[in-house]
Amino acid sequence: MATLLRALRAGRALRGLGGALAAPPATNPQCSSLRRGFQCSMLRLQDESKSDRPPDSSSTTYHEHYQAHSTEQDTTTASHGASAAEPEAEDAPRPNTSYQDQSGEQGEEYETEEQLQARILTAALEFVPQHGWSMEAIASGAETLGLSSASTGMFHNGSGDLVLHFIAQCNSQLTEILAEQHKQVQLGQAEPKKTADFLRDAVETRLRMHIPYIETWPQAMSILLLPHNIPDSLKHLSTLVDDIWYYAGDRSTDVSGSHHPRSPPSSAHTFLSPFHHHPHNIRPATLQMNWYTKRAALTGIYNTTELVMLQDSSADFEDTWNFLDNRIQDVVNMASTAKQVQSTGEAVVQGLMGAAVTLKNLTGMNQRR
Amino acid sequence: MAAPCRGPLLLRVSFRRFFGVSASARSFSEDRKTHFGFETVPEEEKAKRVYKVFENVAQKYDVMNDAMSLGIHRLWKDALLHVMHPQPGARLLDVAGGTGDIAFRFLEYVRSQQERRAARSMQTQSWQDISSNYGTEDKDGSPESSAVVCDINKEMLKVGKQKADSTGTSAGLSWVVGDAEELPFDDDQFDIYTIAFGIRNVTHIDQALQEALRVLKPGGRFMCLEFSKVTNPVLARLYDAYSFQMIPVLGEVIAGDWKSYQYLVESIRRFPDQEEFKRMIEDTGFYCAQYHNLTGGVVALHSGFKL
Repeated sequence: MATLLRALRAGRALRGLGGALAAPPATNPQCSSLRRGFQCSMLRLQDESKSDRPPDSSSTTYHEHYQAHSTEQDTTTASHGASAAEPEAEDAPRPNTSYQDQSGEQGEEYETEEQLQARILTAALEFVPQHGWSMEAIASGAETLGLSSASTGMFHNGSGDLVLHFIAQCNSQLTEILAEQHKQVQLGQAEPKKTADFLRDAVETRLRMHIPYIETWPQAMSILLLPHNIPDSLKHLSTLVDDIWYYAGDRSTDVSGSHHPRSPPSSAHTFLSPFHHHPHNIRPATLQMNWYTKRAALTGIYNTTELVMLQDSSADFEDTWNFLDNRIQDVVNMASTAKQVQSTGEAVVQGLMGAAVTLKNLTGMNQRR
Repeated sequence: MAAPCRGPLLLRVSFRRFFGVSASARSFSEDRKTHFGFETVPEEEKAKRVYKVFENVAQKYDVMNDAMSLGIHRLWKDALLHVMHPQPGARLLDVAGGTGDIAFRFLEYVRSQQERRAARSMQTQSWQDISSNYGTEDKDGSPESSAVVCDINKEMLKVGKQKADSTGTSAGLSWVVGDAEELPFDDDQFDIYTIAFGIRNVTHIDQALQEALRVLKPGGRFMCLEFSKVTNPVLARLYDAYSFQMIPVLGEVIAGDWKSYQYLVESIRRFPDQEEFKRMIEDTGFYCAQYHNLTGGVVALHSGFKL
C-alpha cells in the first residue's frame, strides 16, 4: 500500500517518464535475498541510463527519480529497488545516496559503510576548530554531506573515531610523500639524504599536518590517552615510526645479505620486529636490538616534539624544529658515543689482560715446572 | 478516527481487482489471518481489536506501566534517549507514541544539552564574545528541535496532550493521528523515528518499517524499543511466571481490564526475537542494524540507519 503511494508520488514528480507505471513494483520479502545478487546487474543498467539524466540538485527528487527508475527495472530484474549507484569519483556536489548491502562487496560503483563513515569524518574535520573534537563536529560534517545529524549514532566512539581517523589520514599522507621521495631517489632525480636529515624532515612533515588543528590538539591528545583508545593510538604511532624507518633505509631485518623485498609498510603490522616472524633466521643479538632501539628512539623524539609544539608560540614553530634538530643530534651522538665506549672498553680490557699476563710472567706463575 | 482504518482497505480491494492476482505473496484478500495474542484473527480485525484495547487502557496506561514493570520502563526509555544522543535541531517522530513519554524525554534531553553547551561556552568567552552577546541577549541561532507524536488512537493522544498541558511542556510538540503502516507525512522529513512498545501491535510490521524508511531523512535513524526474548533460561522462567500470573491480575485490580493485559503479554510472545527483527530491519533497507538487550533481554533496543 505504502509502496504504491510512493510509486505514485514518484510518478507525479516525473511526468517525462510517461504515464502509469506498467507493473506494480515488486516488494516480495523473499526477493530481498535476490536483491543482493541482482543489485550488480541493476546498478549497471542504471549506470547506462544515467548519462541522459538531467543534473539534479535536490536530493529528494534525485532519490525519487531513482526509485521510479529502479521500479521500472524491477520488472526485468525482480529486485527491490531502493538504492541507486554512483561511482565514488563523482560525488563532489551531490550527496551520495548509493550504499552497499551488508555483504560488503567491493566494486568501484559501491560504497561500503566504512567508506561512508570515512567520508563523514573527513567532512567533520573542517568543523573541528569550531566545535572541537566532538560529536557536534561529526554532526556538522554529516550535514554538509546531506545526511541527517542522527547518523552520528554510527560512531560509538564519537570523538575517538574522529581523532583516530585524522591520525590515520595523516599517516597515510606521510607514507605517500615518503614513497614519492623514495621513487625520486631511485630514479636518480634526487640525492639520498643522510639518515639524520631524513628523520628530521619526515618528523617535521608529519607534525606540520597538525598545524591547522593546533588550537584543539591538546584535546585530541587527551582523547587518544583514554584507556579504550590507547590500543588504537599506539598502533598508529608504531605504524608511523616503522614506516619512517623503512623509508630511511633501515633494512635491519635482512638475513645474511640477501635482500627480501618487504611488503608495503602498512600491511600486517605488529609491534615485533620481523626477526620474530621468522625465528629460524640466525642473527646477532645486537642487530635484533637495533630494530627496537631505533623505533623506541624515534617514538621518543616524535612524542616529545609533539608536546613541545603544543606550547610553541614562535613564528612558524621555529623553536619546535630546533628542538627536533637537537634531539636527533642527541640520538646520533649517543650512537657514536656508544660505539666509542664499546671500542674503548675493549681496548681497556685488552690492556688489563696484557697487564695481568705480564704480572704472571714476572712473578713466575706462568712457567711450567 | 475511522477513516485511516477504512481508507487503505478500500484501496487495497480496488487494486486487487485492477491487478488480478497480486505479485506479492502477501495478497490483499480479506481471509488472511494474523495473530492477536494467542488467538488467530482476520487481519483487519486485529487493527480494530488493538484499537479497542488501547482505548480501554488509555486513562490508566502510565500507572499500569509503572506497576507492571516496577518502574523499570522509565530506565528503558532513558536508555533509548541515551543511545539516541540527539544533536541540536533534530526532528523526532515518535510513532505509537500515545502518551508521549519518549517525546517529553527527547525535548528535555535536547534542552539540557543546550543549556550545558551554553554554560560551557560562557566559561571560555573572550572579551569580544561577551561584548557582542551584551547587545543580542536572546539570540537563538541554533535550530530548535521538535517532536511529533503520532498514534492511531485518539484516546492515547488525548491523555498525552493532557500530560503536556499540565506540565507546561508543549513547545515543540505536535500531536498527530496516523497509522504506522501509512504515515501522513511526506518523504525525508525526520531525523529520528522511534517506536516504543508499539510495533508488536502493528498488523504488518514490514509495512511499518518501510514507512519508517520513507519518512526518514538520508542519514536518519530508526530506533525501536520492544519486548523481546529473554536469553537467560532461569530469568525466562521467572519472567514467564510473572507475565502470565501477575500482570493480568494487576490489570484487573488497577485498570479493571483483565483481557487487555492478557493480550499484552501474549502479544509479547508472538513478536519475533532479536535476531529475526534485526533481519527484518536489514531487509527493509536500513544499514548498520544492531540491537542492545536491556534487562537481560526482556526489552531490546533495535537501531538502523537510512543511508
